[in-house]
Order: sequence, then structure tokens, then C-alpha cells
Amino acid sequence: MSRSSEPQKEPVRIGRRGIKSSLIYGQAIVFLLLTLFPVLWLLQMSLKVEAEAFQMPPKLLFVPTPENYLALFQGKFARSFGNSLIVSVTTTLVSMLLGVPAAYALSRAGFHAERGIALWILTTRMAPPIAFAIPFFLAYRYLGLVDTLSGLVVIYLTFNLSLVIWMMRTFFDGLPRSLEEAAEIDGAGPLATFLRITLPLAGPGLATTAIFCFLFAWNDFFFALVLTRSKAQMAPVAIVNFMNYEGWEWGKIAAGGTMIMFPVVLFSLLVRRYLIRGLTAGALKG
Amino acid sequence: MRGRTRFFVILLSPALVVLAAVTLAPFAFLISTSLTPLNLARPATWWDFSRPLLNFTDLVEDRRFINSLGVQLYLSAFTVSFQLLIGLGMAVLLNSRLRFLEAIRALFIIPMVLPPIVVAIMWKVLFTPDISILNWILGFLGLPQPAWLAHPRLALPAIIIADVWEWFPFTMLMLLAALQMMPAEPLEAARIDGASAWQVFLHVVLPLLRPAIVVTVLFRLIESVKAFPLIFVMTGGGPGTVTEATNYYAFLQAFNYSMIGFSASISAVVLASTLIVSYVIIRMVGTHVEVE
Repeated sequence: MSRSSEPQKEPVRIGRRGIKSSLIYGQAIVFLLLTLFPVLWLLQMSLKVEAEAFQMPPKLLFVPTPENYLALFQGKFARSFGNSLIVSVTTTLVSMLLGVPAAYALSRAGFHAERGIALWILTTRMAPPIAFAIPFFLAYRYLGLVDTLSGLVVIYLTFNLSLVIWMMRTFFDGLPRSLEEAAEIDGAGPLATFLRITLPLAGPGLATTAIFCFLFAWNDFFFALVLTRSKAQMAPVAIVNFMNYEGWEWGKIAAGGTMIMFPVVLFSLLVRRYLIRGLTAGALKG
Repeated sequence: MRGRTRFFVILLSPALVVLAAVTLAPFAFLISTSLTPLNLARPATWWDFSRPLLNFTDLVEDRRFINSLGVQLYLSAFTVSFQLLIGLGMAVLLNSRLRFLEAIRALFIIPMVLPPIVVAIMWKVLFTPDISILNWILGFLGLPQPAWLAHPRLALPAIIIADVWEWFPFTMLMLLAALQMMPAEPLEAARIDGASAWQVFLHVVLPLLRPAIVVTVLFRLIESVKAFPLIFVMTGGGPGTVTEATNYYAFLQAFNYSMIGFSASISAVVLASTLIVSYVIIRMVGTHVEVE
């Protein structure tokens, strides 16, 4: 890709440029601090005892205490956190197992339904959650799947399976076909070619897509709220339950919030190059 | 060749069957439910298709539904416009090859990847009087310290602020990507002709960005219907019905009042609008197969 050609710098201009770029730096840092403020605020809250947390003016220098986190894990939160992990990992595995082969087929076979499938996938990705919640809730009541982990795994397929198909398709599209053709000339069948040649090459794409699946399941609140009661409670719902009638347990809320955002921030920084692709269901490459 | 095609069909079909089962079947079920007065408290209302369009005629006359459309419209219009303005500004600011800016760009995306429930909690903390650092600062400056989320005029703006914060990184990323793919020649030409930086931006950059802006706005419009966790945690639709957006109203009807049939009809309307916007997006950006 050809980027803007480097203009010839005149020596006189350099000083002015230095000022200009430090101005940009300054602005960028100020905006960044403003942007991250709510996140950092929650973080420091989670490390303070209740009395300290809402002291005004706020104490900026304080001895962090693990008390809130410990309290969290003495209660039922540990179980909800575990549920969230199990459901997110399982739905990722199932979506990948079903979706990756399908994506490969769509990429290589040249079926004539591109636009129709694209519309279908984008619509399901963009559909308001309530449109899924009602029919799934009714079906689950009938099938006894309300408040079960498997029920959640299945409903997360509604967005994750289409995500895998569409994202992996663009990754497969980007792989050179010459190796596949060479393997087939050497007598390898299509299955062997797919498993031994293409899949290993698609490693980074597979990792990125899996991370997106995990994050979308992990971040869900609505389905977890509507389809679970207590047994299969997920971490985001558990946190909201700390806002109860006896009062809000802010320490636990902040600690729980920090715990569920931690893996998310870590993972998304890993896949940030593909965020647009992931968030637009692969409709845009970014 | 025929063997290959069969191989591909075998790879494709399990996923399509499952996808159809978890998406098309529920949509069909949703539509059929919307034609019944289903109320979970009254079993006789299952499969009662005697007056199929009743929900929809009720909908048109339902004040609370009309109100929810207004709330949704207000919410969408303001969040999407501010996200566009801020995102565009940030994209222009950060569009540079300076290594330092490339590094901090990554940190700007944090709000949009956070679990929405955590975003809702953060802003609940910032908007609740007595514990809010925001209100303390306002007081310090001698300004009034409103109870944001309980105030009829301020509750919706508070949710808008939280939503803008959560999603401006998306518009920023989209427009940044468009800016980086922009050809350098027209910009250089304009500069050589003596245009000021501001003129270049208005008359060259902005028109070139137009398609990216339109697609970004459409995506944000669809997604703006999903502010659910913010409303749920911050205001619960209140005070009164001031922040009761359509999606939230549908949720209340179905899961608090058990009026499943009625709620299904609201959801069907929202779903239909989503389908239309998705179709427009696909028409505009294609399926990007034209890359090769």
C-alpha cells in the first residue's frame, strides 16, 4: 500500500513541526485520560474499603485492600464466574467446530448465494436480542432448558456461529491457494488438504475468531438475565444482584466488575487489528 | 469436480442447519407468537389465532409504546450524532504515523470492548449523588449537583453520555481506517493549490469520507437499539417512562408483565426495521467479494 510520500523537509520547518506534534501528543493524552477515567475510577473503588471509597475529596493515595475481592469469593460469585467461563468456552468450541468448515466451503466452492447469506448473517448478528429472547424463552420453558448452562450455550450460537462463518471466510479468502492445489496434484484428498494445509495456515485467523466468540458470550447480559434464575447464573447478572433492596454493596460491585472486565481488556488488545471486522460481523474488513 | 462440490456441501450443511434452527425457526416462532394474545398466566391464550392483528392495532394506540419510540428516536439521534462528531475528531487527531500515537490508539478502544454491564455500573457510580466524584467536582466549582438519574430532564441525557462514551471508539476506528486508506494525491494537490488545513478537511477529506461515514452511522443506528444494560442498571426506564426505550418496553411487557404475545409484536416491528437497515448496508458495501 502506498502511503503519503514523505515530503522534503525544509530545515526551518522542523522546529514548528516539533511544536505541532507535541501539541497533538498533549491533546491525545488529555483525551485518553478523560476516556479511561471511569475505568480507573472503578478500579480504585474496588481496592478501597467502603468508608474510604466514597470519601470526598477522594483519597488518591491509599493502601489497596483485597477485602472486596475476598468477600466476593466467599459468596456465590465464584460459581457465577465459573459458569461464565464454562459457557463462553463451550459456545466458542461449538461455534468453531461448526463454523470453520462452513466458512472454508463458502470461501472455496463459489456458491451463488453470497448476497442472500450475507444478509441473513448480518441480520441475525444485528437483530435486537429481545427478538431471540422471546421464542427461546418459550421453547426453553417447554424443554426444561431455562436456567441451564446448555441453554445459554445454544442461544449464544445465534450470534457466534454467524460470526465464525463470516470472519473465517474472509481469512480463508486471504490465504494463497497454490499450496492447496499443489497438495491435490500430489494426490491428497480435499479433506486432507483442508486439515493439513489450510487449517495450519489459518492459525492467526482461528485464534482471532475464537477470541471474538469468547468475548461476545462473556459480555452478554441480556440473555443471561432472561434465561437464568440461580443455578446457571452468569457473572454479569451476579454483579447486578449486589444492587439489592438492602442497599448496594458497592465494594463487591466494583470488584466483580473489575474481574469480569479484566480478561476482556486483555483479549481485545490482542485482537484490536480485527475489531472492526468482528463488530460488523465481517461486513467490513477495516 | 463433482466430488469436491459434495465435499463442500458436507462441510457447509451442518452449520447452515444449526444456524437455521437457531435463527430462522425462532423468528418464525416470534412472528406467530405476535399474532396471539399469549399471556403466560393464562394457558388458553397459547395458539389463539382468532384475532391475529389485535396486538398490532393495540400497538398503534398504546401511548407507552409511542412514548418508547420517541425515547428510542431521541436516544439514537443524539448518541449517533455525538459518536460521529467525537469519533471523527479523534480519528483526525490520531491519524498519524507517529509511533506514540499508534501505541495509545489501542487504549482508546477500551470503552467499547468492556462488558456493557460494567459500563452501566461505572456510569451509575458517576451519576449517583453522594458517591459521585462528578457531583463533588460540580459542587467544588459552585455548580448545582443534580440527582441525574432521578431527574426527568437529565436521566436520558445521562444515558446518552454513557452510550456516547461506550461507542465513540467504534466510529473512531471505522473513520481512522477510512482515513488511512485515503489516497494522498488529492490532499497534496489541494495543499499545493494553497488550501488551508481546514479547507482541505472540509472540501477534500470530508467528501472522501462520506461513504465510510454513512456505513458507520447505519451500524451505530442498528446497535443503538441495544442500550439495554445501561437503561436496566442506570434508570430502570424511569423516572416514570422517561428513559423507557422500545427494546426496554418490550422486555418489561414480556418478562415483567408476562404479556408475551404483545411483546412479540413489538419485537417483530423492531426486527423488521433491523432487517431493512441491514439490507441497505449490504447493498452499499456489498459482500466485499469484489476484492480479488
